[in-house]
Amino acid sequence: MVKALAVHSYKGGTGKTSISANLAALYAAQGYNVCLLDYDFKAPSIQVLFKTKIRNTLNDFLEEKCEISDALHDVSKKYQMKGRLYVGFAGASTDSMREMMTKDRRWEMKALQRTLSAKNKLGDELRADYLIFDTSPGVSYSSINALATSDFVILVSKMDEFDMEGTKEMVHGIYDSLGRKTGLLLNRIPTEQFPLGAGQKELEEAMARTFNLPFLGVIPCYCDIQVNGGKYLFSVEQPKHPFSQELSEVIKRVDQQLKAI
Amino acid sequence: MNVDENSSNIVKLLRELNGNVENLSSKIDRMIELQASLTEILSPKKKPSYEGLPLDVATLLSLPDHLRKTALALSELGEATATEISKKTGRVRAAESDYLNQLVTKGYVAKKRKSHEVYFYIEV
Repeated sequence: MVKALAVHSYKGGTGKTSISANLAALYAAQGYNVCLLDYDFKAPSIQVLFKTKIRNTLNDFLEEKCEISDALHDVSKKYQMKGRLYVGFAGASTDSMREMMTKDRRWEMKALQRTLSAKNKLGDELRADYLIFDTSPGVSYSSINALATSDFVILVSKMDEFDMEGTKEMVHGIYDSLGRKTGLLLNRIPTEQFPLGAGQKELEEAMARTFNLPFLGVIPCYCDIQVNGGKYLFSVEQPKHPFSQELSEVIKRVDQQLKAI
Repeated sequence: MNVDENSSNIVKLLRELNGNVENLSSKIDRMIELQASLTEILSPKKKPSYEGLPLDVATLLSLPDHLRKTALALSELGEATATEISKKTGRVRAAESDYLNQLVTKGYVAKKRKSHEVYFYIEV
């Protein structure tokens, strides 16, 4: 049965896209079939990483112009993965983004139903093991539609006060209301704030207490990812990089959480 | 009547007048209170309501927990009987039937009969 994950955050710039794309690649490298869906219709960016010719977008799927399988692009051969990696891109033209801004609540209701039914179809038709949503930050229709469809939410936060306060509110206001299990992943932690040894354990425990959520990991801010993160898939091109290694650990923790659901 | 007596009478009259003004003032206050109560009874302030709106995520988040779980399950299935919803939510059929009918009453969900079964669905 397909398991759906949503990568979400309160504010932008937390590294959701890098994390969701690299998690998808790591799962596919392990032999799983994965569908990565860009549900950030306000600021689509996954197309920059994969550089693939796009036939249909997820906007077309939600507009009922095509089926979900027609909006997915198989990139596994390009990266020589053991499993299949299918990517669904959001429309990146200004017209597509403007069009999505004009949708009313009835349309959003249909979008939720189509997203929920897509999850089951991808499991049946493409034998997908994992469905990963990259979402827009904060509270927007597309991100909450993705959260409502997901079995588990990877909540990404930086360690600044703005992010942490908003994140706490979102956990109780949205995730708890939807009954979604959530894990916290701290990302882009500046080197001077990054604790080593016992300090890291203390930080993890403090965060788990503050948010009352399982802790998925702490990823420092790597300059080379800031520079090259959008150019290629780090976990594929540099599997030994600490970022890729840490994400492999995140996958283990996510799977532990999924088993408990 | 001398000047002292006149002054004393004027003070007395002013005190009476002040007392009457205070009485009048308290009666006006009471009338304002009564009018406010009457206005509230005749046209009560409408509480914010999401009823009749589409069953989108904003509506889902506004629903009480027990109805939200049912509504989410129905959103996923599209069309379902109370038995099918209860299999999805893990709650008893009778409870789901009650919750589904509450959602029908609120206008979020519609129902139709097919032979002996009642099917619930979300009108799009």
